[in-house]
Amino acid sequence: MSWREPAPGESEAGERSWRVVREAFDERIPAPRPRNWRPLVAVAVAAAILAAAFTPPGQAVLGSLRDVVKGEENAKPALFSLPSPRSRLLVNSSQGAWVVQSDGSKRLLEGYRDASWSPRGLYLIAVRGHELRALEPNGDVHWSIGRAGLDDPRWSSEGTGDERIAYLARRTLRVIGGDGRGDRALARDVTRVPPAWRPRTHVVAYVDGNGRIVVRSADSGAVQWTASVRQRPAALEWSGDGRYLLARSASSLTIFSSTGRQRLEPLAQGAAPVVDAAFRPLSHGIAFVQRAAGRSVLWFYPQLLPDATAARRVFAGAGSFEAVAWSPDARWLALTWKSADQWLFIRSAAVRKVIPVSGIEEAFGPNARIAGWCCP
Amino acid sequence: MAGSHGDERAWIRGAQRGSESDLESLFRHHWPRAYRAAYLVVHDAAAAEDIAQEAFLAAVRSLDRFDRRRPFGPWLHRIVVNRAIDWSRARALRREVGEEALVSVAAGDRPENPHPQTLASALAELSPEHRAVIVLRHLLEYTPGEIAGLLGLPRGTVNSRLRRGLDELAQQVEEDVR
Repeated sequence: MSWREPAPGESEAGERSWRVVREAFDERIPAPRPRNWRPLVAVAVAAAILAAAFTPPGQAVLGSLRDVVKGEENAKPALFSLPSPRSRLLVNSSQGAWVVQSDGSKRLLEGYRDASWSPRGLYLIAVRGHELRALEPNGDVHWSIGRAGLDDPRWSSEGTGDERIAYLARRTLRVIGGDGRGDRALARDVTRVPPAWRPRTHVVAYVDGNGRIVVRSADSGAVQWTASVRQRPAALEWSGDGRYLLARSASSLTIFSSTGRQRLEPLAQGAAPVVDAAFRPLSHGIAFVQRAAGRSVLWFYPQLLPDATAARRVFAGAGSFEAVAWSPDARWLALTWKSADQWLFIRSAAVRKVIPVSGIEEAFGPNARIAGWCCP
Repeated sequence: MAGSHGDERAWIRGAQRGSESDLESLFRHHWPRAYRAAYLVVHDAAAAEDIAQEAFLAAVRSLDRFDRRRPFGPWLHRIVVNRAIDWSRARALRREVGEEALVSVAAGDRPENPHPQTLASALAELSPEHRAVIVLRHLLEYTPGEIAGLLGLPRGTVNSRLRRGLDELAQQVEEDVR
């Protein structure tokens, strides 16, 4: 083994660096000479911390340090603005629903939960107590309806004024018009999984009591197709063009064609738990989060092809990532790093820039989770 | 190459008194091994340049406080290797590009990389901490005891990492690398 040959670029890098070092030397202000070993001590401490991290137990310690103390360095202390202009965030927390404008200003809709956006972000649908309420982001309530055991309302993305809202009342899936009229039961004995509307249709996907996925017209009640997956689905989402339905289970992803006849299961059996997944707007890419052994990884499938659905690692860190959301223009990813009390705004899946924001719990209260990043 | 411990002390003393030529002698004496060490740990020329350069800048900032009785090399190499490890670990935690891009970057390095490709690519397969101890031992020629001091590790840990790292290297390179 020879160690004597120069490394690539060694000489040129040396010349460049010498110029930088010389300039720093010329600009330096000579200090008096009291002996001060603090820099070396700091280096030694850093080395000791790093050394402790090299062994598996030490790695766990460092991981927990990053979890609790650090997250990403140079994080902004608060959410001063959204990186995607003219967009709005909807955040559900234990305090209520927060609407965050692109300039960082935010409003608490106190006591609301399970809030989600209407198709153009003009309204919210949310639960307060035993009422389902349609309201404006400023809190003005347009209509409400009382039901027991309310959960997970979702607005259809018709966008023409003829929208529907699907929601769960105990174990019944109900549908109501966007104007608050025509409330009716669509299916009974369903699993508590938020329903998912196929974009620009009145077709809704939900999970029945046996864990099967059901795709059904909310207008006629006709079942279009059903499908079973290896693990009971925990979340459903349609791609923006309605061509694919994504089912996330505890440790698997299943992507169905719109007819349900074809499916893709890109994760092998035994994969690490999948805690969130989201279609990239305007495409069929999927970002998803896996968590195992004290670490979390944000992945991205740029394309869905039977033999070429390869995941790219976007970001990884110690502790718990909880949720991922795309900006409406698909240029940013928002990643909830719960254990670090941070959100990361990641510029594209190629990570051209990361904007970390800390102090999430202080700003939004416990259990803050991005529920939607909405349209201008 | 010149550079006895006496030369080094003289260069540091001269630099502390403001001599740019002494600082340049110190820089040119230590740059190749500092850069090479960083490169062999991080396998990224731009990052290696940043790491080695930043270590020298740290030296300039600390020049007035530096104890001339101590050798400069270990002080510099400790910074370089620790920063290189840190950088590698950070890259492992936060992929700045996809795996495919990394592969293409590595492939692009080959034509101008005079290091035996088997060594460079085999080293890249090791963990940063294994790379670091091997580079400190075989490029910078520190003893295991000195490496333990530089990295703040027990000597036994250094020895086991060396042994394990070299075993892995030997498997990768398919020839005796010791």
